[in-house]
Amino acid sequence: MSSADYVPSASDVRALPERAYDRLFAGRSRVQQSVIAITLAAVLSLVAFGVFAPESTAGRLFAVLTASSTLAATLRLSVPIAFAALGGIFAEKSGVINIGLEGLLIIAAFTGIYATDVTGSVWYGLAGGVVASTLLAALFAVVCIEFRADQIIAGLAVWLIALGLAPFLSSVIYGSKNTDSVATFPTLTDMGIPFVSEFVTWELGFVLDLPVVGVLDLQSSLVGLPFFGALFDAGPPVYLMFAAVALSWYTLNRTAFGRWVKASGENPKALDTAGVNVHRVRYVAVLLSGVLAGVGGAALALGIGQFTGNGPTMVNGKGFIAIVAYLFGNYNPVGALASTMLFAGLDATQLTLQARDVFNVPTELVRTIPYITVIVVLALFGRTRLPSAAGDHYESGEDE
Amino acid sequence: MGRLVRASGFERFLISASALLLSVLIGAVIVLGAGRMTSCETAAYTLAFPGAFVTQFVGGDALFAMGFCYDPIALYDLLFLGALGDILNDPTNGQFATTIAETTILLFTGVAVAVAFRAGIFNIGAQGQLVMGALVTGVVLVYVAPPLAGLGVFAAVILLPLGLLLGAFAGGVYGAVPGALKAYADANEVITTIMLNFVATSIALFFVSREQFFKDPESFANQTVSLPDVAMFPELVFRARDDVSLLALAFGIAVLVGVWYLLRHTSFGYDLRTSGLQPDAAEYGGVDADRTIVSSMTLSGALAGIGGAVYVMMVLGNFQPGVPSYGFDGITVSILAGNNPLGVGFAALLFGILKSGSIVVQVGSDVPPALVGVLRGLIILFVAMPEFFRMAGRKFGSFHQPGEQPVATDGGTGGGVDE
Repeated sequence: MSSADYVPSASDVRALPERAYDRLFAGRSRVQQSVIAITLAAVLSLVAFGVFAPESTAGRLFAVLTASSTLAATLRLSVPIAFAALGGIFAEKSGVINIGLEGLLIIAAFTGIYATDVTGSVWYGLAGGVVASTLLAALFAVVCIEFRADQIIAGLAVWLIALGLAPFLSSVIYGSKNTDSVATFPTLTDMGIPFVSEFVTWELGFVLDLPVVGVLDLQSSLVGLPFFGALFDAGPPVYLMFAAVALSWYTLNRTAFGRWVKASGENPKALDTAGVNVHRVRYVAVLLSGVLAGVGGAALALGIGQFTGNGPTMVNGKGFIAIVAYLFGNYNPVGALASTMLFAGLDATQLTLQARDVFNVPTELVRTIPYITVIVVLALFGRTRLPSAAGDHYESGEDE
Repeated sequence: MGRLVRASGFERFLISASALLLSVLIGAVIVLGAGRMTSCETAAYTLAFPGAFVTQFVGGDALFAMGFCYDPIALYDLLFLGALGDILNDPTNGQFATTIAETTILLFTGVAVAVAFRAGIFNIGAQGQLVMGALVTGVVLVYVAPPLAGLGVFAAVILLPLGLLLGAFAGGVYGAVPGALKAYADANEVITTIMLNFVATSIALFFVSREQFFKDPESFANQTVSLPDVAMFPELVFRARDDVSLLALAFGIAVLVGVWYLLRHTSFGYDLRTSGLQPDAAEYGGVDADRTIVSSMTLSGALAGIGGAVYVMMVLGNFQPGVPSYGFDGITVSILAGNNPLGVGFAALLFGILKSGSIVVQVGSDVPPALVGVLRGLIILFVAMPEFFRMAGRKFGSFHQPGEQPVATDGGTGGGVDE
């Protein structure tokens, strides 16, 4: 969006740069301000190098970052994190900290592959993953809500159960911790949806002459666009992700259920007084986190067509990254998606760097970049205000 | 967590024992279920119940008897008794030696997690701290040990404590990082320690996969140069090839007692425990909460790092990436022991048996040894829900005397006696 599109609202009539400045720097600590400033400067200089000195090291890095394949990988890697983060928002907003998202992703990833293998359809596979993840989330909900377990320890247990169960079942069924390969999700162009699949590959056939950017060759189709082309040639999970983010935002902010979820986490007593069953709201919220994480986990495995269960499995900490993503996004689904794209983008960049071998970088250390970024982000911006009743068990006075 | 800490010792024991029993039962169900999902020539285990029940009415053979490819009873026999080997005739047999070795390392990771838990901190990063301890010990001793090798026994007297100190230092530093992040930046330690586990694995792989750093140039595998024998724990009673040392075990038990004493009878231990139980009260009482967090995480990391040093100097003899999940098992050990350092000893032995038994299972049956990972999670889940057992106890009587206050419900009655 350029500043020309900006329509000043009644509440804030200042210019966009001023508002952006406030948004970025106002009310932040020195350390946060300097980190934001350095990040901005780094991004700007990277763009400058990319435009004016494409042969330099920074210029080549810019080329890697703006490659269509990098965006494609970012979107693909965002899916499990974003879905898990959405699930985490619902659970935590309702007052149940679901630290077992990683486990839900793992069990959904394995079941997604197994169900696809049995039924032959990736969509049934996706459904299977959702069912498995929801069942595990139901177990977690019962343990936390009914039996008042410590939520953190129960969440860890969910993670460790899935971490043991998925490779165990894989060994039982496939004779190895890695499953056989099954079908994967087709991309939009291959899906053969009437109109849509043709539209994205349809030749646009015009040339844009923009003042600053220069000549944009739009001879090709939407799919062939530089960088943004990946948006039009992703698998269904990517579009599901965008839909889920919008739907979650709407549910949380515009529906009665959303208000109940928030009240259940902030002031369960008030919700109870208003005649809404707090336990039921929390059950639904935790089950919803199971459904959402299930889509994410199954989509992760079905994007590759195989479940790999060695060590931390193919999920590899994505469930925990999701927690940081929604904290960084301040429990807002859109914010969570934005921070998810940041972490997934870093992961995509390191994968591209490894694959292209542009720079002689040690792969083992590059691999740690997303994890270290998560720690830095958590340390600098993780001081979000938890819902006041998060982590606490609630007992209605009438239940006893 | 408060509820776990507050429950009385006896109740905690009952809860752990019931959790263990229930996990084993559910594990058996999972094994039976898994046995239905795979295929085999003849059923290893036949459940006659539905068949016999039906045939007594309709006659004929046990038509509906269910056959299972895995036999849970034989499996648990291998898992629990197999880990002991032929202990009556040969107390130093190889399998039992493995059990002791696993137990020894779990003592350290278990007590590491327990110390942090007592301070109200979830140290999920014992794995990473152990890896760092093992890496630094393995790498530094390679340079220090050869010049001292001529000294014989005296070399061991210098090298063993040095190795343990190196492990403690590396693990302590690596544990202090999430501690400081929690204390001064409010970063949730569960997330940071898990992230640091990933980072530790990558760093270790980086250093031992490159010859310009610490990779053994004569080996195809990614590993460091082997340590000379003087830098290894002496095997004492056991055979040398079994990679186990009673000296290391004794040291581990001494550490448990030391930590127990530290927590119970020193002012640092008192500060640490009150911070875990009542952070606000502790701060009011003059405890520097931030410093307590950092120092207890440093201590926790150091203990896990010592575990890594013992792993290198007792089991491996060098450093290799792909360290088994001692850190995660340490969480289960600590939770099962009610975060009591002395209880860690028994829980570690139990898990040592499970880990060693899983090898017997791998050799002696078709059941994948990954089952132990499932049991690990189940045990944590059940220990985390003491209320479940209390409810069950109330239903079937005898668990609580009638009229007694339920122990520490969420209203914070705190009726339980702390130890």
